[in-house]
Amino acid sequence: MINKTLDEKAFHLLKEKMEQGLLPQWVITDPDIYELEIEKIYGYTWQFLGHETELKEPGSYITRWMVNDPILLVKNRNGEINAFLNSCTHRGTMLCTADRGNKKTFTCPYHGWSFNTDGDLVGIVAGNKVYGEEMCKAEWNLRKVPRVESYQGMIFGNLDVNAEPLEDYLGEMKWYFDILLGRSGGMEVKGLPQRWVAKANWKATAENFAADPYHVQTTHRSTVEMGISPEDPLYAGYGHQVVLENGHGINVITSKTGKARVPFQSMPESIWPLFEEHLSPKQLDIQSRVTVFVGGVFPNLSFVSPIHGTEGHLHNYLNFRMWRPLGPDKVEVWCWFMIDKAAPEEYKDAAYKGYLGSFGPSGTLEQDDTENWARIVEVSKGLMMRDKELNYNNVNNYLMGLGRVEPDENFPGPGVAYPTTYLDAIARSMHEHWLKYISKGLFVKEESK
Amino acid sequence: MNSKLKNKITTELQLEIINFLHQEAYLLDSRKYKEWLNLLTDDLVYRMPLRETVEGVGANNIAEDSAFFEETKKSLTTRANRLYTKSAWVENPATRQRHFITNILVESTANPNEFKVRSYFLFKRSRGSSHTIEEMFGERNDIIRKVNDEYKIAERTIYPDQAVITTMNMSMFL
Ligand code: FES
Ligand SMILES: [Fe+2]
Repeated sequence: MINKTLDEKAFHLLKEKMEQGLLPQWVITDPDIYELEIEKIYGYTWQFLGHETELKEPGSYITRWMVNDPILLVKNRNGEINAFLNSCTHRGTMLCTADRGNKKTFTCPYHGWSFNTDGDLVGIVAGNKVYGEEMCKAEWNLRKVPRVESYQGMIFGNLDVNAEPLEDYLGEMKWYFDILLGRSGGMEVKGLPQRWVAKANWKATAENFAADPYHVQTTHRSTVEMGISPEDPLYAGYGHQVVLENGHGINVITSKTGKARVPFQSMPESIWPLFEEHLSPKQLDIQSRVTVFVGGVFPNLSFVSPIHGTEGHLHNYLNFRMWRPLGPDKVEVWCWFMIDKAAPEEYKDAAYKGYLGSFGPSGTLEQDDTENWARIVEVSKGLMMRDKELNYNNVNNYLMGLGRVEPDENFPGPGVAYPTTYLDAIARSMHEHWLKYISKGLFVKEESK
Repeated sequence: MNSKLKNKITTELQLEIINFLHQEAYLLDSRKYKEWLNLLTDDLVYRMPLRETVEGVGANNIAEDSAFFEETKKSLTTRANRLYTKSAWVENPATRQRHFITNILVESTANPNEFKVRSYFLFKRSRGSSHTIEEMFGERNDIIRKVNDEYKIAERTIYPDQAVITTMNMSMFL
């Protein structure tokens, strides 16, 4: 792949450009780059599989994807969650095609082998007659996802057995996850994630959430026209853009005054005392001032915690989404609604409506996002985007703010926090990590010089 | 069972309701959303749960705990009004859309002014110069109410047949 069309020289030019804050546009949808990404990024990073509240009772299961690997998550009799490759060990048939359910055993429709919730092969049709007594069943158990770990209820898998622990990978993001997911003692997922297919590249969608509040005023201008969002073109820019370790990032959007627009993101007063209980004073300070949290975990998990409503009310919710790559110009979007377990039921219902009215495929904000994502892939494949020397002018300029905005030393949270969200600090960090993964082993010589 | 005779579905009534649904589709396809809102009662319930894949023959595969729409007339009005702004980019330039409404089945209810109406929909749209034709299909279960000699939609539940939606977004009404 890499040797065919993307040689070492090309990587060096890419690196050079990126050091100047320039990202050639062709890399967005290049098919060879895409193959590299799947192998070298998705083969080694932690990927989101689901939330613990999606698996309620023993025997509960959900099916997911790690790009092209079908994954079966099951709660066993002891309440532990296992993740298996959703493929029968006999001839490889997909074992379970349902989105979710509850079972004691999974029986393959092809020849009838069955597996329990621990992935053990427990039944072979006419076993002794076909295979004789000496077959060792334990050798045919379902294949486990090499690494499965969770943090704040978020279950992640990693195909690399030697990967650093999830908590180390999340690094500084943990501190913000503790706010987003742990502020009131835990979140719960409502129902199934919404799923749809968008004409988009996973890097652009991930960047949109992790790094781009600047798009809000224009892409979502219809909400300004409707009188829902403020007129001030800087309204999504107040606050901090925080660059975190490992390509992660978060935008803590406040307001012009630096104070919250609505106290505690309009969460019901009944759960405010829980925030004090679960958050450190510094975390509480941020939670008390934020209007919107929006960010991402490298490579393809994003989140937004806004305040919204289509009926005049304002409610907060937490939306996680995973961009499953289906090709250089296609993603399957998985979109979870989460809400504080401790919130009153009527608040949860109203917040769900607020979510449907803003994000997800039918969300009035999201609809216009998808339009722009599609327009990016529509134009990125052309010859004029493909200059081998990488010095053609048609590059995505992500220089905005480079070296001009200094980090705010007084920001209470971890990470490098810039005092505005209208800059490309997180985008650059994401791209650096992207290059680090796809070029692994390539720059070793000169780095050790 | 007594109401059965009283609310006999006549050919004329059936035709009126079929015409009503075709008229509704015409308004949506012509982007006359304000006129469309006039077809909805003030106490409208408009929902679209997710379809899910579950095991078992005859098992309920509507995910009642998850939705694409959970709307009232007020929230639909917000959604519709947004499509008249200059910057609802998803519909500017506008998508070309058609609602094909078929298999309309009218049943009476205990209320002589309300009818249970089931229909199938096929929604297709085209956007810009894109070669991809986006589509969605499924079933709608409506309660259509006669108010002052006019038909109105009082309740609509939309059941998509796809568990994974293949339109880029859902800026349409179904
Ligand atoms: S492939 Fe599953 S039992 Fe044969
Ligand atoms: Fe957006």
